[in-house]
Amino acid sequence: MSRAGNGIALVIGSGGVKCAAAIGLQRCLARESINIDLVVGCSGGSIYAAAIALGKNAEEAAALSTALWTRDVTAQPDRAALMRMLFPKLLGFTERFGLKKDHVVWERLMTAFGELTFADCKIPLFITATDFRTGEQVTISEGRIADAVRASIAIPFAFAPWEVNGRLCIDGFLSDPLPVGVAIREGAQVIIAMGFESPYQERVTSGGRFAFQLSSIMTNNLLKASFAFHGLAHHSEVIAVIPQFSQRIRLFDTGKIPLLIDEGDAAMGEQLPYLRRLLAAVPA
Amino acid sequence: MSIRLGSTGERSLGDFSERRARIGLVIGSGGIKCTAAAGMLKVLEREKIPVDVAVGCSGGAIYSALYALGDSAAEIERQTMVLWKDLFSKLHYRSLLRAIAPMFMGYHEQVGMVDDRQVWKVLEALFGERTFADTKIPLLQSATDFRTGEKVVLDSGRITDATRASIAIPMLLRAWEVDGRMLVDGGASNPLPIDVAIREGCDIILAMGFESQMNADIRSLVNALGRTSTIVTNHLLRATFAFYSVAHHAEVLPIMPVLDRHIGLTETQHIPYLIEQGERAAEEQMPYLRRLLQASMAGPLPTPGL
Amino acid sequence: MQISISQQDHVTIVAVAGSIDALTADTLVTALLDEVAAGRTRLVAHFGAVEYTSSAGLRVLLSTLKEARQRGGDLRIADIRPNVRQVLELSGFTSILKCFADVDSAVASFANMGGNK
Repeated sequence: MSRAGNGIALVIGSGGVKCAAAIGLQRCLARESINIDLVVGCSGGSIYAAAIALGKNAEEAAALSTALWTRDVTAQPDRAALMRMLFPKLLGFTERFGLKKDHVVWERLMTAFGELTFADCKIPLFITATDFRTGEQVTISEGRIADAVRASIAIPFAFAPWEVNGRLCIDGFLSDPLPVGVAIREGAQVIIAMGFESPYQERVTSGGRFAFQLSSIMTNNLLKASFAFHGLAHHSEVIAVIPQFSQRIRLFDTGKIPLLIDEGDAAMGEQLPYLRRLLAAVPA
Repeated sequence: MSIRLGSTGERSLGDFSERRARIGLVIGSGGIKCTAAAGMLKVLEREKIPVDVAVGCSGGAIYSALYALGDSAAEIERQTMVLWKDLFSKLHYRSLLRAIAPMFMGYHEQVGMVDDRQVWKVLEALFGERTFADTKIPLLQSATDFRTGEKVVLDSGRITDATRASIAIPMLLRAWEVDGRMLVDGGASNPLPIDVAIREGCDIILAMGFESQMNADIRSLVNALGRTSTIVTNHLLRATFAFYSVAHHAEVLPIMPVLDRHIGLTETQHIPYLIEQGERAAEEQMPYLRRLLQASMAGPLPTPGL
Repeated sequence: MQISISQQDHVTIVAVAGSIDALTADTLVTALLDEVAAGRTRLVAHFGAVEYTSSAGLRVLLSTLKEARQRGGDLRIADIRPNVRQVLELSGFTSILKCFADVDSAVASFANMGGNK
């Protein structure tokens, strides 16, 4: 990692549309003339990490976000896939299973990022996914951005896994919802991490809710344990920026994006005094 | 302090009653792989390792409990062969399908694949009405609060209840209520709870844990669900192990059997192999453990790196 | 446990043999931190002859890693035996520091580091 900058890395973890708060975080830093030198994104966070790395300003990133996250991205269950799930032996069920028709999400990603690659980024970008065959975390830092994001958001059973550089990938949050380790390995100094816990169900009344609850329990515990370890392992500070949302935000509440951005801005603002003290202490 | 030399010329471990280090034994989740613990316990008995605290999670809760109650290693091995066959003698695949298929169509009662009454019979046969107060050394078992996701440590009441909660693996067994909390598998919050042993003041921790094995082919939704669950569980195991290894002075000795084959939950024919691998993995740690115990006779163990 | 220290292309190679555990780690960490304090912050730990490492061993690797990085350097590990590698993976170390198959690649990896030490 270049020693020219202060070595500030931003890590944006999974969280669906809530990750839009990262736009506010970056807006706050830009206002203070504090530059981000490296970005890491996971799952929903990969969209914003890419937008920031490409140098998009807050308005551009917000517009990109609103166009991307709409209900119709996931509104089309793939009926053939549903049948294959229920009668696996008869109709053939493979590891590339996904319930939704993902041509819509792919179209949106191409509209947002086109043929842009990691080489087009102004600062280094890293997007994480999970190798479906080995379970390992996959760090993507080359190729088309649209491919990397599609791999990173491949929510199991909703979207089909996506192949990148010969590896079949699924959602990055399964290996680490907030990949601070990538920033550490890349030599970051101060790390700013924005992550979100998956919400717990109010009442578990169906098998689907049960599965979601279990998934949330396990990934939230993973998020906390991994963050604790990385915090301890890093030689400098890992600043957690966690917006407090006054309302419940559902997965595709794109109408709330302006609110999310403001909350992200405010949450970063609260950490500014500490960040400034840390930067002042970094040897030139 | 007298020194008795054994036939190998090494100090007999029976002298370690004067040691200063507190030893904890943690047996984590791993389904049928937990039977490897029977092999480890044989080694601990043979080497006369004085364990002060036993912690168990999920399948491991059965073994920590039997050990804490004072059963011999031979007795535990004998019980192992019987109990696993009985646990899964009535596996209901149709219940699972009912649970999974309507996942997107809605249903109202969580069911489990394994017959609850059968599991309860097995636990009663093992533990009867015995409580945590009946153990020879302190016993702690971990479960997970299904509403909040938090780890819950159980250290009182009937051992059958606590073990049933700890082993409530989702999809296999229903959640279990203890003191008004709906509890599930301890592995969902931490598959290898060495932090519980640390909190009990242990300086040396023998930790038997298992990485979940990836199933080979994805041929059905059940396989796919299993695959993602395995992936997250392994990362959770590593993340918690990593944190507690470096955050605290306790010396953690991982005893993790190496397996050359994938072993399904009901494949009881592999139990002898598992026990053997458990024994091997434990034996590998014995030379260092002996050195540590000898050093602890002289005074508190050094705590480098803190 | 034995330690031997040598230099190669502005990188300090610390070759360790034996077991890195609660009983030996203090010796190792003293040797490593002495190097860092003397300004030699580009370190390669040659693990070819390391038979075993415990959580105490991990802690000293971590303290050295952090000290070196704070001073603009790094600690990288070369030639790790399978059983030791398994422990490093389980403990999250392979995700936070760079590991190499041999000492030469580890040394060469420092060529991209900015600044001269």
